[in-house]
Amino acid sequence: MVQYVLRRLGTSAIVILGVSLITFLLLHGMSGSPGRAILGVQASAEAVAAFDREHGYDRSLAVQYLDYLGGLLHGDLGHSYKLNQSVNALLAENAGRTAMLSAVALLLAIAVAVPLGVFQAVKRNSVGDTVLTALTFVTYSMPVFLLAMLLIQFFAMGLGVLPAQAAQSSSDFVIFTEPRAMLLPVLTLTGVTVAMYSRYQRSAALDQLAQDYIRVARAKGLSMRLVLTRHLLRNACVPLVTLVGMSIPLLLAGNLVVESVFNYPGLGLLFFNGLNNQDYPVLLGYTLVAATLTVLGNLVADVLVAATDPRTRRA
Amino acid sequence: MPARAGRSQMNPDAHPAPDDTSVLAIEGLSTGIRLRKSDAGVVDGVDLRLRRGETLGLVGESGCGKSMTGLSVMGLLPPGGRVTAGSIKLAGQELVGLPEKHYQRIRGNEIAMIFQDPMTSLNPTKTIGDQVAEPVRLHRGASPKQARDRALEMLALVGIARPAERLGQYPHELSGGLRQRVMIAMALSCEPKVLIADEPTTALDVTVQAQVLRLLHDLKDRLGMAMLLITHDMGVIAQWADRVSVMYAGGIVESARTGDLFTGMRHPYAQALLACTPRLTQPREQALYSIPGSPPDLAHPPAGCRFAARCAHATDRCRTEEPVPAEERPGHTLACWNPVDGPLPATAPTAPLAPTAPTVAPPATAPADPAALEPLERPVGPVLAVDDLAREYAVGGSRLRAGRRGVKAVSGVSFEVAPDRTFGLVGESGCGKSTLARMIVALEKPSSGGVTALGAELGGLRGRGLRRHRRDLQMMFQDPFDALDPRMRIGAILREPFAAQGVGSAKEQLAAIRDLLDEVGLPHSVLERYPHEFSGGQRQRIALARALALNPHVIVADEPVSALDVSIRSQVLNLMRRLQAKHGLTYVVISHDLTVVRYLADTVGVMYLGKLVEVGSPDDIYLRAAHPYTAGLIAAIPEPDPAAGPPGDQDGMDAEMPSPFDPPSGCRFRTRCPRAQARCAEEEPVLRGFDPGHTAACHFPLREPRPAAAPVG
Amino acid sequence: MTESVTDKPGGPAAPTARDGRGVRLPDTMSGWRLTAREFVQNRLAVSGLGIIVFFVLFCFAGPYLYVTDQVTVDPVSSLLAPGGGHPLGTDAQGFDVLGRIMLGGRASLQIGLFAALIATGIGTLYGTIAGLAGGVVDGFMMRVVDTLLSIPFLFIVLIVATRFSSTVLSLSLILGAFSWLAPARLVRAEVLTLRSRGFVAAATVMGATRARIVARHLIPNALGVVIVNITFQVADAIIAVSLLGFLGFGLNYPDVEWGTQLSAGVSYLLAGSWWLIYPVGGCLVLVVMAFNFVGDALRDSIDVRLRRR
Repeated sequence: MVQYVLRRLGTSAIVILGVSLITFLLLHGMSGSPGRAILGVQASAEAVAAFDREHGYDRSLAVQYLDYLGGLLHGDLGHSYKLNQSVNALLAENAGRTAMLSAVALLLAIAVAVPLGVFQAVKRNSVGDTVLTALTFVTYSMPVFLLAMLLIQFFAMGLGVLPAQAAQSSSDFVIFTEPRAMLLPVLTLTGVTVAMYSRYQRSAALDQLAQDYIRVARAKGLSMRLVLTRHLLRNACVPLVTLVGMSIPLLLAGNLVVESVFNYPGLGLLFFNGLNNQDYPVLLGYTLVAATLTVLGNLVADVLVAATDPRTRRA
Repeated sequence: MPARAGRSQMNPDAHPAPDDTSVLAIEGLSTGIRLRKSDAGVVDGVDLRLRRGETLGLVGESGCGKSMTGLSVMGLLPPGGRVTAGSIKLAGQELVGLPEKHYQRIRGNEIAMIFQDPMTSLNPTKTIGDQVAEPVRLHRGASPKQARDRALEMLALVGIARPAERLGQYPHELSGGLRQRVMIAMALSCEPKVLIADEPTTALDVTVQAQVLRLLHDLKDRLGMAMLLITHDMGVIAQWADRVSVMYAGGIVESARTGDLFTGMRHPYAQALLACTPRLTQPREQALYSIPGSPPDLAHPPAGCRFAARCAHATDRCRTEEPVPAEERPGHTLACWNPVDGPLPATAPTAPLAPTAPTVAPPATAPADPAALEPLERPVGPVLAVDDLAREYAVGGSRLRAGRRGVKAVSGVSFEVAPDRTFGLVGESGCGKSTLARMIVALEKPSSGGVTALGAELGGLRGRGLRRHRRDLQMMFQDPFDALDPRMRIGAILREPFAAQGVGSAKEQLAAIRDLLDEVGLPHSVLERYPHEFSGGQRQRIALARALALNPHVIVADEPVSALDVSIRSQVLNLMRRLQAKHGLTYVVISHDLTVVRYLADTVGVMYLGKLVEVGSPDDIYLRAAHPYTAGLIAAIPEPDPAAGPPGDQDGMDAEMPSPFDPPSGCRFRTRCPRAQARCAEEEPVLRGFDPGHTAACHFPLREPRPAAAPVG
Repeated sequence: MTESVTDKPGGPAAPTARDGRGVRLPDTMSGWRLTAREFVQNRLAVSGLGIIVFFVLFCFAGPYLYVTDQVTVDPVSSLLAPGGGHPLGTDAQGFDVLGRIMLGGRASLQIGLFAALIATGIGTLYGTIAGLAGGVVDGFMMRVVDTLLSIPFLFIVLIVATRFSSTVLSLSLILGAFSWLAPARLVRAEVLTLRSRGFVAAATVMGATRARIVARHLIPNALGVVIVNITFQVADAIIAVSLLGFLGFGLNYPDVEWGTQLSAGVSYLLAGSWWLIYPVGGCLVLVVMAFNFVGDALRDSIDVRLRRR
């Protein structure tokens, strides 16, 4: 097991290294000449060249990459010339709120999707299953912003019970201090995530239901309820753990849209504004962080799966 | 479907046992499964009575409804299935229509069931201890401590060594035989009145099968249970059942005491089923008996007797009127209009030599283009020579540790096969025989050693040369469902060998394909069809036709009939023999089934953990085995004759085959060998001669080796 | 953002009808025809296909039957409620909404299809090469896929989109260039499975060349997976392009796709101009759902055929 974790750590490191190469190349390719981008079109060619030389942008790509990598290893994600702040500071300032929103939505989604999927599998083709399947299908086929707009239209404008904008406080824990103002963003993000997970959980549970050991458990005299809780649930959740790990990019993408729609000051909104400013150090800094999170998420998921399913523990 | 309820009342048991001794009484049971378009009556009017301490065998081919009968009793029919008529009484209590809550108290408590595949029947993420303890916790309200003790006791009872260690293990850490023992421990932990064992040993090796059946038998006596033993194997029935019911297409055709049935069966199906069960005593020259055709579609059952279409004794009455089960003699019931009298004589020719032969004998599979298909110069010596062949696999894909840990699938195997002869290779699963087969046809590269086929070292051939050489070296695969491309019509499948070798024009190819179909006894109309439309036996015929297409000299057949029912199996085996004689083929036949190899082979090799431990003529192997493993393997086969003693009495092999990751030092068999001594662990035995052409690798053989014999191999 | 997840039907396999000599075989039916029959029996799939056909006609043929001016801004008739000459009203620029949905749908469908074809094309080639090569090459190729997969798709697509002026072609290329990873994995897994199948070994033993095995066995058998993947990719790409449009990276005036159209309507939703949002939103969801239905049904019918092997 330890060996397995170590090996997975190794491959994760390689993948993160690969990601850093890609973000570096994009940073380089997107910005063109940083000097020109920063000093503007009016600047003289000499001034641009001087700037590039001063900041080392005239060196070979390989050297610049090593430089970039060295910075990363020291936790330096670069500098936003547009906002004249270090990328680290910008990300740190916003990370807490995004982490809270995403984590709450993720946990809620898992808490809803697991029982929902198992219920649908056990009662497959019943009226309840059909209605739920239709509902998840519609949500699944809907862009995040459309769901957000429908929820705003219904709760904020129709019923007038919830605000259409997210809380604007700079506290990381705004989600707990102003829950009413955060309900719609959380609901939106949870909704799309549930749609994705519950479909998957339903099919995983169906797969498990068809296994011989379920019939054996029934033959022991266990009621269906005990079969589900004692035998099926654990096995049926194994694929979902992997899926959750892999779906971090989708969760962050959903978060980006939700933050822009509800104007919630987090990393998503920072990214959205960065897009409009063409602030590539911020954009790629966050991308690198997101990719690293994904890699770690996959790693944690794999270790969890190995802990749950003894068959995958190797060596 | 006609309800047959009440038949038992009309024909009461002649030895009317007091009702309380009938633990389980099934009367007129009919079970239907709703398919997408139709309903299939998978069980139709079945009567069974199971007394305390008795084993009732329920025998039939796949799809005959025997498993559905067991699941009906358990109330665990698959979705869409339900009992449509009849009654199931457990100690007087009616189970049909019993509310689920009450049924749950009976399952695992008063009736228990064990299933065919121990590999998938245990929850992979729970420990053995938890799973065995579960029924006791549930039905007896035992505390965790009590349940654990009970689990420990049960594991010891089913003969698992070091039970305390096993409690904390997970199923994947156990071998198949051990898992089946765990299943038995689990099923019996509440000491049920009735145990339903559904093909309990079909997925296991023959040596393990003998151990598990003996265990079941002993436990049944010890706990005073009744056992319903569901199997397809007449040998298992003969050895372990007190009474037997023969099932065909959903109905019971004949029931009797086991001895009475085997010596005096009256139903033609029972007679045929026994006749096609291969025996070790059968004369090899004789064709195997086989039942033509295949069972009917239960969604559209034929009128009259369901066996009529395949029955040699069928009359018009059989085809129109369903036979009523009636008591022939006390305790012997029968559903047949034209009963036969006892088994077919074993010595007389049992069947036309080739019951499946086409009426018109076609010309040889004429090569479409004689020049292109001109056979290579036939070598004088052996057609095929395997020389010190070995194959190792790295484990875990990590190249860093490959040197340390590898599976030695095959290590140092040598043999030769003469032209037109058959070399049979037997061994239990995991002994490396399939890897060996794949190396012989150059599907896999050996780690060391080589294969010389038809005068060419396969390892030395590349590209075009190898492809051309392959014409003479064909293979038949185990799984007929996997070996034919599901997207190709049969015509395209059979044309592929010609196309791959670029032989003949389209017209010539078609002519050759038609000849091939005649050879294997299939109508020309199959050419337009797809593989999924055929049964296993028919697919294996198509695969054989394809292997023959290039007019090869050598065919390697890897478990050619193991996926087939016994009645279909003999059709294919007969066909293989007939084609060998006709085309002068050389076969290498690989099987776990000793009877299959005995029927086909001129020379038999016995493999154990990647090594050839004994080679000889069939008589050498089956009558004069020198290696204790060979002897144990043969002793484990259940004879389809109740008069023969049950297998495994000699108590040869207790344990199961060790892991090939880490084979024992010295003689690999020593961990299971009753004759093993210190020397066996230190020194690896070499092959020594016993008779001409008979060699075995053992330090302490069952027979004295020829004194003059110098070590070979 | 959606991701195609496996959803195998878990019901018990229907017992195979017995056939054989003496018993009449069912009418011969090819693998593809069997698939087609399964598909037709699935009502959702048929309605999905119906919706797709309807929208293709609606978006591509519609503008010829229902002619509207989608170029000239007309402030006089802006934000008209449905009725009169405008069945779905007009937007802030005075464009007829029904006509605009046709125009936007055309772009959305085109981008969805192009992007899906590009992604599936690249992915199939990549996955096939990796699966066939095996060993170190396969290991390296799959590490590359792992790396790219860990970068959020929407992030990278948005970043790249900032440097291009959006056209149908550029958006298709950008989306296609970053969504071939899932099909690559899928096809590789399929190739690996197929390579271990008995019929491939049988072909090898016959002396078939590698090219022949790929052409006659691997491609026809992997085709089902690839086709199913295309339908899911179309659905995903339509959603992705709507997200780009919504975030301001969609097509530029006078062109439009549904995301941009929705984005433009949002500000007027508060003023009560519901017709700017609901019709186009409904169309978007319907089309994406239709592709998902068809994909699910195709996958199930291919599964059925394999079950009946």
